[in-house]
Amino acid sequence: MEKKPHSDQNDNVSSPRDNSETVDAKSDDHQQQHGEKEEKDVEEDPPLLDPELSLAQILDEVDRFLETLTNAQKGKSDPPDQVPNSVELLSKMVESMIHAYNACKTKFGRDLEDDASFLEAVNRISKLSNGIYEFPIQSSSLNRASSVLQRAMSFLEDELRVLLHEEPKPNSNVSDQKSQKPSKQSSFDLNHEQDRCVLPDPIEQNKEQEEFPGFSQEAISNMNKIASAMIFAGYESECCMVYGILRGSAFKGALNKLGYDYVSIDDVHRMQWESLEGEIALWIKVVKQCSTNFFSGERKLCDSVFSDHPSLSQTLFLDLARPVVLQLLDFAEALVVTKRSAEKLFKFLDMYETLRDLVRVMDDGSYPEELKSEASEAKTRLGEAAMSIFCDLENSIKSDHGRTPVPSGAVHPLTRYVMNYLKYACEYKETLEQVFQKHLKIESDDVSTPKTSPFSVQMMTIMDLLDANLDMKSKLYKDYALCYVFLMNNGRYILQKIKGSTEIHELMGDTWCRKRSSLMRQYHKNYQRETWSKVLQCMNHEGLQASGHGKVSKPVLKERFKNFNAMFDEIHRTQTTWVVSDEQLQSELRVSISAVMIPAYRSFLGRFQQYLAPGRQSEKYIKYQPEDIETLIDELFDGNPVSMARRRA
Amino acid sequence: MRATDNQGSFLNRISIRRNQVVSMDGNHEQELEDLDLFQKHVADRFSDLLSSTSDDDSVLSIAWLRKLLDAFLCCEAEFKAVLLMGRDPSQISKPPLDRLVPEFLDRVVKALDVCNAAAHGVESVRHYQKLAEIVVAAFEQKPIGDGQVRRAKKALNSLMLTLEDKEGSTHKSAERTWSFGRRGAPSNKDRSTAGNFRSLSWTMSKGWSAAKQIQAMSANLVAPRGGESSGLALPVYIMSTIMVFVMWALVAAIPCQERNGLLTHFPVPRQLGWAQSMIVLQDRIAEEWKKKKEKNKLAGLLEETQRLERLGLSLIEFSDSFQFPGEAERLEEVAAQVSELSEICKKMEEGLVPLQQQIREVFHRVVRSRTEILDVLDQGGKMSAPTM
Repeated sequence: MEKKPHSDQNDNVSSPRDNSETVDAKSDDHQQQHGEKEEKDVEEDPPLLDPELSLAQILDEVDRFLETLTNAQKGKSDPPDQVPNSVELLSKMVESMIHAYNACKTKFGRDLEDDASFLEAVNRISKLSNGIYEFPIQSSSLNRASSVLQRAMSFLEDELRVLLHEEPKPNSNVSDQKSQKPSKQSSFDLNHEQDRCVLPDPIEQNKEQEEFPGFSQEAISNMNKIASAMIFAGYESECCMVYGILRGSAFKGALNKLGYDYVSIDDVHRMQWESLEGEIALWIKVVKQCSTNFFSGERKLCDSVFSDHPSLSQTLFLDLARPVVLQLLDFAEALVVTKRSAEKLFKFLDMYETLRDLVRVMDDGSYPEELKSEASEAKTRLGEAAMSIFCDLENSIKSDHGRTPVPSGAVHPLTRYVMNYLKYACEYKETLEQVFQKHLKIESDDVSTPKTSPFSVQMMTIMDLLDANLDMKSKLYKDYALCYVFLMNNGRYILQKIKGSTEIHELMGDTWCRKRSSLMRQYHKNYQRETWSKVLQCMNHEGLQASGHGKVSKPVLKERFKNFNAMFDEIHRTQTTWVVSDEQLQSELRVSISAVMIPAYRSFLGRFQQYLAPGRQSEKYIKYQPEDIETLIDELFDGNPVSMARRRA
Repeated sequence: MRATDNQGSFLNRISIRRNQVVSMDGNHEQELEDLDLFQKHVADRFSDLLSSTSDDDSVLSIAWLRKLLDAFLCCEAEFKAVLLMGRDPSQISKPPLDRLVPEFLDRVVKALDVCNAAAHGVESVRHYQKLAEIVVAAFEQKPIGDGQVRRAKKALNSLMLTLEDKEGSTHKSAERTWSFGRRGAPSNKDRSTAGNFRSLSWTMSKGWSAAKQIQAMSANLVAPRGGESSGLALPVYIMSTIMVFVMWALVAAIPCQERNGLLTHFPVPRQLGWAQSMIVLQDRIAEEWKKKKEKNKLAGLLEETQRLERLGLSLIEFSDSFQFPGEAERLEEVAAQVSELSEICKKMEEGLVPLQQQIREVFHRVVRSRTEILDVLDQGGKMSAPTM
């Protein structure tokens, strides 16, 4: 029953001459005619009652034949001189299976049992084809087997293509898609359904939706089966090609969906900074997606589809990832060689951080050295560029030698610029520290590294330069008092900025801040001395009483009041136009002035008012009551050029 | 590697000499000597390149391109030495260099894009290789049966289609790719290709054209005249010419986005000693390009690609007329062709990845040089006029 008597037929077709006469010219036609002929032959066989059983039987018999071939190859037995009919039957079986798949639109993956049978049959055909290679027998049935194998592979290749195309859209729910399919329940499906019941957590579901590349377990399992069958049959190249091409374009599609589009280096150089900023933001988004999600997802997919072929999976993954990585790095390289300017610093640092994360991801052992070094190279170059831009701040400060003082002694734009720049830069403190550390290592390896970080040294340098520059600028004021107001304003601004940012504060340290504060107090004192000591002089009790008789000299007293009024008015007139924008400093100044002036004036007034005749004389010389003085002092440093006359009116 | 071997002594000499005479002003003669040496080295390298081409084959084999890139890297290193090493930055910010150097840097940026396009192009050639390997694998089975022939034919059809695809619009062929394999696709499955490669290749940005890029690179390339021709303007011109030539050769050899209207000639004065071999090479490549263009076969002048194409056509013919078990004589012929095909595949396997890496090396080198030159320009600029 198992051995079928078909030897005579096989003998018939074994002669090449014979064969060539039976078929027509074109190979396709030949194939078909050949097939039809065989079908007729098979129909003449005793009918096969149970098709399931017959497949098993056929496989059994083919296995036996394969065993004979193997033995013959090892020299254990003579090579078989004929091919059993089961080979022919197997080819026919596989052909009709392919036909059924194509005709009834039941594609691979709908019926697990059918798939299993098909794959098993294809597996035997593959072995037979290998047998042809290793042990040549001229046989039309083996020829047909190879042809059927090719068809099966073509079919599987197409199925793989379809499966790879059926990537769910990012917003469509994975489970929805599954339920849409008329469920021919497979065991795997059931398992999966159970899985979902165990994890009904909506967050978990969301996670699954977002997962890249978003194939269902079912699809992945089918791809895995197809890949294994193709590789087993020696069609590895075709399989990898389809996989590589489709995943490549899907990956590109995913990047495009994020808005990514390749910008040539030439274009980068032509772009305005504003548009480049947009490109950079996009680039950062894309690189982040790649390092957190896309690459690992792609890797996982590769590993699951080619689970039995880890090195193949590795190659495929890298063929896909390499061009992506290189292209993304190119953008960084393109930017680094654009003209450097201060506003680029922060974007470069953002990019540096993004690449740092990518390099970290690439350290997982699955990326080749060469690609990793490309990435860290690009990172280093961004770092260098960032550092050189940052250090360029030194030059900006050094080269700022404007000759016109800022009116009213206000905060100089340079101070604002530098401090805001530093404050912003210090939000990248850690990164800048890294960058400086790295570069310092390259530049001077053997120089004993100071305890303080190179970045904080750079910060100190910049602060010192700024101080020196401000000092120089303060000398532009002819009025010393204004010079100190200027120094106070700028000093206070710097101090406030530093206290307002933990990062800079930490960098500069408490000692530095204390030093600054005491310097500020010194400025304050100097100001007070410059402006008010002369005024206080007027209210000195000494010199008013003529020596000897102790009588108050009225003319001197009148002169004193006159002087006081004039000086105070003058100070009020000029110093109300001066600006102290820091409220606290402003009130500190006013309070300290009042604290000196008002008691002195009050006591002066209390002591000497009596010597002036009330009425006209007193009104003429005593222009202000102590309360007026207080009010007027409170008008100082407002930046208000309001004349006293208008005030009075 | 090779790139550093034969230039080390030259660079050392320049650096030692410059260090010695850095304080002296009158080192004009030595500078002239350096320039002479640079020209001589360029001439030598290109005459080596010329003599390493065989007469009957295409100039542009993978091995030759690698030599070309080696030569480029050597010339580039020497150029940088001549231009920058130990030099007072203000020297290259004076006329005419204040115009020539920025122009050179512009060319560098364009060369970077060409490098990228060529690297993508090599990826395409690797795809040809993979298809050819399928053909080899199928035809190396014995005996050759219908299955093998059909497998090979499918790969061959893809190969021919991709080879043709490489010229003309990117987008059209991408669409064609996408029409394959979806559900409801043509039922004649065996005819669908093993996958069109275009969709995988990481193309340049839309509208980017290799031909235009080369054109732009060569646009203001004018040999220095009169007094300029003995100064630093000369090495800048020489290096620019080398760069344009190398990029042009890459584009001619390797499929790159949009090569329609690729220059077949850019002017290099014939009387210049260093340019002689380069001019001959240029003429030969241009001649070949024109010939291919007439036949509308422009997968690239790469010798290996052209041989693939020839063998492919012949093997398709064989496949079309094949009847199992085939005539012994014809099978022998095919076996010979297949072994040739296999040999090309081997060459590609050995050469393409290194070529790609070398293109990358050129990219990196050129990027670095640009930065260095910019830095020097910056310094020079700061000295003459403080900014801000």
